[in-house]
Amino acid sequence: MITNEKINHFIDKIPPAPKALQATIMLLNSGELVKAAQIAETDLALKAYLKNIVNKPIYGFRNEVSEISQIFGILGVSSSQQTVYNYMMTLLSPDKWILFNLKATSFHELQAKLSRRWKQILEHLNIDDIEMESAITLLPASIIVSEALFSDKKADVDLLRSVNNLDLNTILNRLCGLDLFDICEKISQKWDMPPKIAQIVQASSGIKPASDEELDKLGKWMHLLLFYELSQPMFIEAGLNDFIEFQIDYVGDIYDDFATLMEIA
Amino acid sequence: MRALVKNGIGVFSPQGFLDGNNVGAFLSIEDIEATAKLNVDMVLVSLKKVVFFNRNGLDIFVKMFTKVRAEKHITVGFCDYDEKKFKAINNFYKNDTNFSLFATQEIAALFSSSFKNQNKNVLLYSEDKSQRSAMAIELHDSGHNPIITQTEEEFEKKKSVENAYDIVIENSYLGQTGNNVATRVTGNAIIYTVSSFLDTEIGNMFNIAYHNNSLNVGFRLFIFDAYKVISMNVHALNFFSRLASSAAEYNATICFVGMTFEKTPIAFKETLEDSGIMFYDQMDDILGNKELLAELGASSADSGSNRRVINKVMVTELPRFIDATVATIEMMTNATAIKEAAQVHEIQIENHEDKIASSIGFYGDIDGMVMLIFPKDIAKKACQLLIGEETNDLEMILDTLAELVNIVGGKIKTLLADQHISVDITLPRTYPGNKGRAES
Repeated sequence: MITNEKINHFIDKIPPAPKALQATIMLLNSGELVKAAQIAETDLALKAYLKNIVNKPIYGFRNEVSEISQIFGILGVSSSQQTVYNYMMTLLSPDKWILFNLKATSFHELQAKLSRRWKQILEHLNIDDIEMESAITLLPASIIVSEALFSDKKADVDLLRSVNNLDLNTILNRLCGLDLFDICEKISQKWDMPPKIAQIVQASSGIKPASDEELDKLGKWMHLLLFYELSQPMFIEAGLNDFIEFQIDYVGDIYDDFATLMEIA
Repeated sequence: MRALVKNGIGVFSPQGFLDGNNVGAFLSIEDIEATAKLNVDMVLVSLKKVVFFNRNGLDIFVKMFTKVRAEKHITVGFCDYDEKKFKAINNFYKNDTNFSLFATQEIAALFSSSFKNQNKNVLLYSEDKSQRSAMAIELHDSGHNPIITQTEEEFEKKKSVENAYDIVIENSYLGQTGNNVATRVTGNAIIYTVSSFLDTEIGNMFNIAYHNNSLNVGFRLFIFDAYKVISMNVHALNFFSRLASSAAEYNATICFVGMTFEKTPIAFKETLEDSGIMFYDQMDDILGNKELLAELGASSADSGSNRRVINKVMVTELPRFIDATVATIEMMTNATAIKEAAQVHEIQIENHEDKIASSIGFYGDIDGMVMLIFPKDIAKKACQLLIGEETNDLEMILDTLAELVNIVGGKIKTLLADQHISVDITLPRTYPGNKGRAES
């Protein structure tokens, strides 16, 4: 169904991060918001994406924000970098979703929600780290990879899952010996993302705890956050709720804290 | 959302958070009805991977449950939860719990009509005395040995004894159960269990579609386990007479076992005998007598005058059956399967001990049965994706082989539908190497 050759082909096809984006991220990393904005202005697609995403209700701005320098100024260094990484992920997303009932707008919505909630979580945990904040941007890559690998096998996947409750991650792992999150890590390497990002996202799979205690804890928060968002009607209807298996025991020790933070009654 | 159906139980498994806003996105009444059509006698929602739920969320499930149970006469409820979730549900519904709660799917299977394994030693405890009794009666009716504990202390003490019980039931609640006629397959005979008063309701409780499908795929012996029948009225008499007439068209036999006529007119027995129904005192009188089984048609699932023959339509469609099988094996193993010459010949299997098999029947525009026969090692390889680990557990391999042939059946159905040939598929059967020989 899925072979290692197919996975390698997918990874080979991932383009390197565009130069303008690399430069923007580098400048953001060194705190040069104005220069970063000037470079970002030259990429019209990035500009449109940034405008679209920060004006979503989850960001809570009263007036429309339209200038890149204004956007970076409001978001600050960490969130600006996070948003640029989110844009990079969209470069991988398909023109038309087949496996999942998604559209570009709903995928952007998921990215925005995950990013804002992740920032809230890091603030709650008193973590102020630009790499940690960007880690959430790699998580939706697992959805993009699922779509890329399984979209032409939808009927087979449906048939298989009608007799056995296997999630896509397990199917891939059993067939090829590596899973969606391993492929996410390869994407992050290709795009020179800091290694810590891949480590947290690997832990967030719920089945590969990180050896570093802090990263593992963040993996738990990210796993729970993912299922909090995938329990929203629009993402359930998109078929995302069970693309990977929710590891309820893995998040047992942080659930109460999460529920308080998200005001879950 | 689609349910996973196993052993007559359809289970929906939502993940994450359940509340009034999202339950409708997880599950619709159409999803439940589609599952009920698969001849299940239970529809359950698993809470195993649900980290949060509230009353509003569960209420939506319960409303759907109530509707489906009333229409389909099946058991509905929740399963796979811990003590905390059990207490939360009890707290929400208190004395208004009209659905069932099973702490695990294994416990639910004990109360399913399509039970596979009987004679389980079941330790049982519920705070509610009437629940203890209700569960014990149901378990006993299903052929298990319930051991009821009256107090929590007694229960904990008994539970702590290692390997003393096959299954321990706690944190469970038997709501209004489905009242379908229990069905099981023994060898090539189908056994229906009926009890108490048989009246006009038998027409609703008996799954006539399942019965007809069984006739279509070649079953020829149907036994009604009637030990617990108290009496039968004229409506039930007419129902069984009609059933016997339709069975006669297939040269099939219907038997009653253990039926007494103390409170039923003896003339009913004569009427039923006239329509071809046979009566036996004990189940062993039939199942323990190989010659009688052969005579009644249970030695062969496809014996009798309606024995299927390979015809032109079937031969024309044969490549599609092979394609479906090849595609499934390739999908499951990531290996390349090579088609060799297609031949038509009688099944002759050498080295039975080393082989296992599974089959699935199909009926509709064309009827027949697909059987996959594997050397054990190849079967293990073919099932690797579904099992996920190395195993020599024959029961697990057979169960998985049943899933595999189910996938083949599903693929065949799709391929035939593309040719405008409509078929439905039956439940799969499996054949371990040294018994239940596939040629039979």
